Amino acid sequence: MPTSDRQITHTDRVLLARVMDLIIPSDGDFPGAGGLELAKDLERASQRYGRLRSGLLSVLDALSLDIASRIEGGFAALDEERQIASLKTVEADLPDQFAVFVELIYETYYTDDRVHSRIGWAGRPPQPEGFDLEPWDPSILETARKREPFWRGAS
Amino acid sequence: MIEPPIPEIQDEQNSQTVIAPEIVTEGQSPPDVADVLIVGAGASGAAVAWRLAQAGFSVVCLEQGRWINPALYPTKDRNWEILGRHEWNWDPNKRGRPEDYPVNDSESAITPLMFAAVGGSTIHWTAHAPRLHPSDFRVKSLDGVADDWPFTYEDLEPYYDLNDLMMGCSGISGDPAGPPRSPRPMPPVPLGEDGKRMAAAFERLDWHWWPSDNYINSVAYQGRDACNYCGPVGFGCTRKAKSSTDVTYWPEAIRLGAVVKTHARVSEITVGSDGRATGANYFDRDGAIQHQAARSVVVAGNGVGTPRLLLMSKSDAHPNGLVNSSGLVGKNLMFHPYSITSGLIPDLSETWKGPMGNILMCQEFYETDSRRDFVRGYAYQLNRGTGPLATALGGPHEPVQWGARHHEDFAERFGHIVTMAGIGEDLPEEHNTVTLDKQLTDGNGLPAPKVTYTLSDNSRRLMDHSVKMATRVLEEAGATRVMANPLLRAGGWHLMGTARMGDDPERSVVNQWCQAHDADNIFIVDGSVFVTAGAVNPTPTLQAIALRAADYIAHERDDLKG
Repeated sequence: MPTSDRQITHTDRVLLARVMDLIIPSDGDFPGAGGLELAKDLERASQRYGRLRSGLLSVLDALSLDIASRIEGGFAALDEERQIASLKTVEADLPDQFAVFVELIYETYYTDDRVHSRIGWAGRPPQPEGFDLEPWDPSILETARKREPFWRGAS
Repeated sequence: MIEPPIPEIQDEQNSQTVIAPEIVTEGQSPPDVADVLIVGAGASGAAVAWRLAQAGFSVVCLEQGRWINPALYPTKDRNWEILGRHEWNWDPNKRGRPEDYPVNDSESAITPLMFAAVGGSTIHWTAHAPRLHPSDFRVKSLDGVADDWPFTYEDLEPYYDLNDLMMGCSGISGDPAGPPRSPRPMPPVPLGEDGKRMAAAFERLDWHWWPSDNYINSVAYQGRDACNYCGPVGFGCTRKAKSSTDVTYWPEAIRLGAVVKTHARVSEITVGSDGRATGANYFDRDGAIQHQAARSVVVAGNGVGTPRLLLMSKSDAHPNGLVNSSGLVGKNLMFHPYSITSGLIPDLSETWKGPMGNILMCQEFYETDSRRDFVRGYAYQLNRGTGPLATALGGPHEPVQWGARHHEDFAERFGHIVTMAGIGEDLPEEHNTVTLDKQLTDGNGLPAPKVTYTLSDNSRRLMDHSVKMATRVLEEAGATRVMANPLLRAGGWHLMGTARMGDDPERSVVNQWCQAHDADNIFIVDGSVFVTAGAVNPTPTLQAIALRAADYIAHERDDLKG
C-alpha cells in the first residue's frame, strides 16, 4: 500500500500517459486517454477521493517495480504487446487496485467534453433541460387490458 | 390542495430561487414534553408526523441528517456522474458524510443502502410505487411458508390511496395483476421507445406488463413541476418532480405545527421504571447530549436503523434491548434480492432518456406456481440506460473492457442498454440479522450496525429463474447481447423484517397497529415491521402502514395528548 504522502513525479506522469493510452486507445483520428492530456485531471480527481488515489499509486508503483520491464529498461522501453502483458500481470496480481485504477481513468475520460461530443452525449448535465419523450398514449394498453385478472385472492 | 408553506430564498451557489426549508424549522421551539417524538424524518416518519399533527398532537422529530436544498442535487453539475458515485452514493460507507453511520456488511451477500436527511432514502429512491398483492398478506395460509400478516390488503387499501395522493402517484387503472384500485391522480409517465419495444416483446410472449406506478409527476402536481425525463432520479430531483417526503409530507406537517430537529442523532430511547418510553437522548450538531421528553415515541429508522437503536436502548426494564422480550429485534432481516439482466438492442438509441428506474412492470412470475422449483415469486422492473461514465463502469455488470476492444464494447452498450431488474421475494429467516458491531462506531462513538445475511436456496432458484426469463424477453425484443448478474450485491435498498408485527408477543415485536407488545407508548412504523417482503418496492406499503398506525394513535390514544 503506497504511503499517503507519496507524490506523483514527472516519471509517473510520463508512465501514466502511456498507460492511459493503452487502457483507452485512440479511436480513428480521436486520441486515446493519454493523448487527450487528461493526466492532470486524473491527478486532481485522485486527490479528492482517497480510494482512487490509493489505486493509482499502487498500480504506478507496481508497474515501476515490475521485474520483467526493469530488465528491458523500464515500461517505456517495452513494445506495445509487452506493455499490455505487463499491465495484465499487474491486473492479475492486484485485481482490486487495478480495477480502481481503471475506474479513475474512466472517470476522467468519460467526463471530458471532447469525449462527450465524440460519443454523442449532449455535453451537459441532465438538468435543468432534461430530455423529451413522446407523450403517454393509452392506446398502447389495448392488448394488455384484454387479459383476465390473474392475481390470487387471499380470503 | 396542499400548499407548500416554505418560503423561497436565493441560493448563493446556484444563483437561482430555491426552496430553503431550514429557515422554516430554524428557531422552531419544541415543547418541553412532546405528545409524540418521532425518530427519523424519512418516508414513514414524515407520514406519521403529518397525520398526527393534523389530529392535534404536538409532534417533534429528531433527524440525524440535514435538510437538503433540492437545487444542490448533482444532476445540474457537469460532474454529476462523479458526484453520484462518491458524495451522493447510495452506500453510506462510500458516501461517508458526517451524518451517516457506517455499516459492517462484511458478512452480508447484499449491501444495505440508505440516506440520512430530512426525506431519508426518498431523497435517493427511484420513486417506484407498486403495492403488495392481497396474497402477500397470507403467505402462510396460501403457501405454507413464513407467516401471515395481522391485517389484510383491504385493511391497508385506504391508506395506500391516501399516500398516493400525498406523494403524488402517476399510473393507470386496469392492471390485471392486481385488485382494482382507485384512480391515480396523474396519468403514467410516458414509456419511451425502449418501454414500447419491451411492451411489444412481452405481448408476443403472452406475458403480463403494465406501466409502472411512480411517485414522479407526469404533470405538475401540488405545486411541484412535472418530470422533464432527465434520467438519474436516484441522485435527487432538482425540480421536485420526483416525490420525496421533504417536499411532500414535511411542508404540510410543519405548517400544522410539527417540529423537525436536524443533526440530532438519537443514542437511546429512555424509559421509566415501568418500561414505558419517556423520550430520547440525542447528540446535537455540536456533539452534546440532549434530551427530548415525550409521552410516546415512534421509531422510524427503517430495517437497519431501527433495530440498531432498539438494541442500543437497553435498560433494567428492557435488558435485551428495547421492546425485545421476544428476542426478535434485529432478526428476520429481509432484502429484496435483485437480479440484473441487460440487453443490448442495436436499433434502440438514447435509452438514457426518461426516469431510469421505472418504465413498466411485469408480474407474470409474481405468484407461487407449483411447476417451478421455488415458492413465491418475483417481478420485473424495466430500467433504462445510463450516462457515459456509468455505462463505461458497467454498473451491475463488468466494466467496458480496457484495451483494443474498448471503443467497440462501449459503443455496443451506450444508449442501447435496456435492463430487466428482477426483484425477488425474500422470506424471513432468523439467522439474517442486524446486530451491534463490537468495534465499528459512528461519529458520535455509537456502535455501528452489523448486517449478517445469506441468500436462501429458494431465493437463489428464484433469481436464476428471473435471469432465464429476462434473457428470453430481451432476445424477443431484439437484444444481440445479454449481460446477467444473478445477484446484485449493491442492491440493498429495501430493509425489512427486523421488528416484525404480529398478534403473538412471543413471535413478534409490535402488534397490527405498530405498537410494541412490551410498551404501549412505543411504536415502530417502518420496514422493520414487515412480516414478509412481497416482491415489490416497499415504500408505499410502509407509508400506508405508518398512516394506519397514526390513525390508531389519533383515534384510540387520546391519553398521549398533553
